[in-house]
Amino acid sequence: MSMSICLRCLKRALILPELSSSRAAFSTSASLHANPTKKKAVVPKTLAKAGRTLRLAKNKRVVTARPPAAGERKALRKKVVLSNTNALEVPGLAELSTEIVRDGAQLKALEGKVVGFGAETAEALRCLEGFKPGQGWHLFRRPAALLRKDGVEMGEAIQRAREEKTVERRVVFGDKGSGKSVLLLQSMAMPYLQGWVVIHFPEARDITNAQTPYEPVQTADGKTAYVQPRYIASILSNIAAANRALLNDLRITQQHNLPIPLQSNISLTRLVELGANDAQLAWPIWQAFLSEITAPSQPEKQGGLRPPVFVGMDGVDHIMRMSAYLDTDMKPIHAHDLAIAQSFTAMLSGKTHLANGGMIMAATSGSTRPSVPTLDHFLARAYALGHAEPLKAMRDALLEQTKVTVYDGDLAPLEQLNTSAMHPEVAAQVLELKYGIHHLQENDASLEKLQGFLQRFKVRLPKAAVWDAYLPKDENVVAVMESGVRVTKVAGLSKDEARSVMEYYARSGMLRGSPVTEGLVGEKWTLAGGGIIGELEKGTVAIPSRQLCATKGRPRLASAPAGILDFPFDSAQIRDNITALFMASIMTVVLCLV
Amino acid sequence: MDSPLLRRCARAVTTTHKHIRRRAAPQQCRFYADQSDFRAAAPIRFDQPRAELLDNDERSRGRKNEKPEIDLYSLRIVPASPSYFTATPQYTDDLLHLSTLVRRHKLLPHLPQGEAPRIAWKTIDQYKTEKAEPVKMKGYNALLKLLKELNYIHPSLMPEEVKAALETFKRDVQPYLNVPKPITVDAYGVSIAVGRRKSSSAKVYLVEGTGEALINGRPLTDYFGRLHDRESAVWALKCTQRLDKYNVWALAKGGGTTGQAEAITLACAKALLAHEPDLKPALRRAGCVTRNPKRVERKKPGKLKARKMPAWVKR
Repeated sequence: MSMSICLRCLKRALILPELSSSRAAFSTSASLHANPTKKKAVVPKTLAKAGRTLRLAKNKRVVTARPPAAGERKALRKKVVLSNTNALEVPGLAELSTEIVRDGAQLKALEGKVVGFGAETAEALRCLEGFKPGQGWHLFRRPAALLRKDGVEMGEAIQRAREEKTVERRVVFGDKGSGKSVLLLQSMAMPYLQGWVVIHFPEARDITNAQTPYEPVQTADGKTAYVQPRYIASILSNIAAANRALLNDLRITQQHNLPIPLQSNISLTRLVELGANDAQLAWPIWQAFLSEITAPSQPEKQGGLRPPVFVGMDGVDHIMRMSAYLDTDMKPIHAHDLAIAQSFTAMLSGKTHLANGGMIMAATSGSTRPSVPTLDHFLARAYALGHAEPLKAMRDALLEQTKVTVYDGDLAPLEQLNTSAMHPEVAAQVLELKYGIHHLQENDASLEKLQGFLQRFKVRLPKAAVWDAYLPKDENVVAVMESGVRVTKVAGLSKDEARSVMEYYARSGMLRGSPVTEGLVGEKWTLAGGGIIGELEKGTVAIPSRQLCATKGRPRLASAPAGILDFPFDSAQIRDNITALFMASIMTVVLCLV
Repeated sequence: MDSPLLRRCARAVTTTHKHIRRRAAPQQCRFYADQSDFRAAAPIRFDQPRAELLDNDERSRGRKNEKPEIDLYSLRIVPASPSYFTATPQYTDDLLHLSTLVRRHKLLPHLPQGEAPRIAWKTIDQYKTEKAEPVKMKGYNALLKLLKELNYIHPSLMPEEVKAALETFKRDVQPYLNVPKPITVDAYGVSIAVGRRKSSSAKVYLVEGTGEALINGRPLTDYFGRLHDRESAVWALKCTQRLDKYNVWALAKGGGTTGQAEAITLACAKALLAHEPDLKPALRRAGCVTRNPKRVERKKPGKLKARKMPAWVKR
């Protein structure tokens, strides 16, 4: 069928109408009426002496862009992107689920593998602000983290706490980027999946850096505590959002003395929301909430069941020193005098007992470390003792065993000790003991000599673990740390774990260009200072999220790693655009023909 | 014939002093020239000094020993070497001596090209000062060529005379003897090397291992915050893909972060060469082998910094 329209007109018709406005108009009146030029008020310039005036106006910056709304910059800074549609979906990625977490064997089987968070879990953790903006969640399709030996240990501890209704109190420390916050995140996900109440203080620095309003209150024992209503309200809103489903089923069982009247069967969600919405009610509601969830479970009452509680805090070293607040005498306030910090430390030291069991976990901060000598001493001491005590036990065992000949002692546990994970001074002592015994055995020394050597061998703690008596000790911190908290150091990954993580990066399409060989793994492991996972990520997939935020106009990328695609747009967008264009052209042709 | 002059001549001929034996030279007595009077000059006796220098009793002793006396009046000083008649006799003698040695020992085995021991020969100025002769550059170069040819003789078969001859032409202080101590791998498998950059210096202990690195007792990430510095420090291992094969213990001091990182680069490369010398070309291409000689330029008077001039003022 021949077309009734010429080819030139068809071409013109295919061009979308909005693009055809580039043609010159017949008259300019219409466009002028549409965009009238504003006349600027003419200000007569006073005649100034040439070269003698101070021209401040020449440095005035003309602000043409819209200024950001209140809170926009903060929101942008704290934004956490959990998904990257450009990254590949990793097939066969294990997911942390309730069955796996309940079963110790299944959890152990996942040790050393990258495990993803389910959608619900991720949402809850996001509400709790468990994901931090500086971490690399925005690079992958789904949030996933490596399940390390420490994570499996936490899982086992959580199981133990649930079964025996005990409270596990842990402090986790390590170098910057070693994975403390992510360990805390995994430790939050596991109780969440098991139906615990999860409370999280995302940045303890916000408690002590004097950025939120505070007011003094008198406590029951006559001392002054300082309450931070707005901060507590934000924490309560996080708790409500994350634990909504669980807290909806729980109702209050005690009488609380609150400024506002409360219904007798109000759900805990509603209680927490009341505190979240009104800052003045935040502190009393926090106290009420805490007493409710730490009270013994009353299953016979409706909504009286009380699950175990998980309380986590990131950056606990900020509350183990003087805060930035000042009291009425202009003296600094110790962080332990702040009411919310006191709540937490009471739980951490065991003063506030959780009747249904639970876990209190505190992680120190690596990048924003303040100076906390007392805490550092306790952490170093606990870490050193963790290695020194087994060494001492081995020495004693060898003394017992070597009764007849020099070769009697079982040196296998001594040989199996991993000295690279220890403090150098302790590692040196391990080697001293090992080679001392070897030397005596090789030279066929007498039994008395060996016994004498073993008796003279004393396990010494490193200098950092011994407190200098002339320095002032922070008694508040001493009270917390000497109450039986377990201290864990998060060290670098092993080479197998590093390989597992790099394979995950490669399967996500973020590590392109070279296959994951032993050589590459070893190289990245060494450059990450012995497998520090944060540095490993930076060295392999890079681009910190802050540098991707638009500064002025287009986002500027500071580094160009091998992994990321250069194409700025999403392929889906282009596909949609082309489809729309095609459909529009077809419609135009059809209309013309009709 | 009976002139007084003739008479005086004849008298002079006949009368002789006690200690001088004068013989009538044929030239003096022309009138008495005779076939038998033509005799060769007496050989010059050098075993006795000139008579004026002798004491009286020595003279008499000499007479008692009946040594033939030197006729110092007719003493003829002949030069020791024909080079006396050149402008630079000692130089000429040296040249001839060396040429003789070269010709004499031409058939001795020589070292291969480029493997002769490196010698710092005397400069022309030093030679000229020593000999106090106006030796020309071209001439001295000819001498040097002979010396270098003699130097190629195999040291185990070099004759003593050649050795002695070469020694006289060597400079007092031989800078090529100042060789650095070779870096070796000791009994524990550790090699130690030092590297420097700007005002930093680093000492690296390299041993076979699994890829751990400690700088001043601290891990690599703890000591160097920048990834670039971390890579620089272990560049020698990274570019040869041996990061997971060796352990590094480094002690760095002086300067700043990057200076210390680069110092560790050099030290690590040197230590690695002790373990695997065949890696030298690869490390050279990677830029780890040469010590970067750059240093901070000093401030000069009249300037604000090394180069920065104060603001120009018209007057």
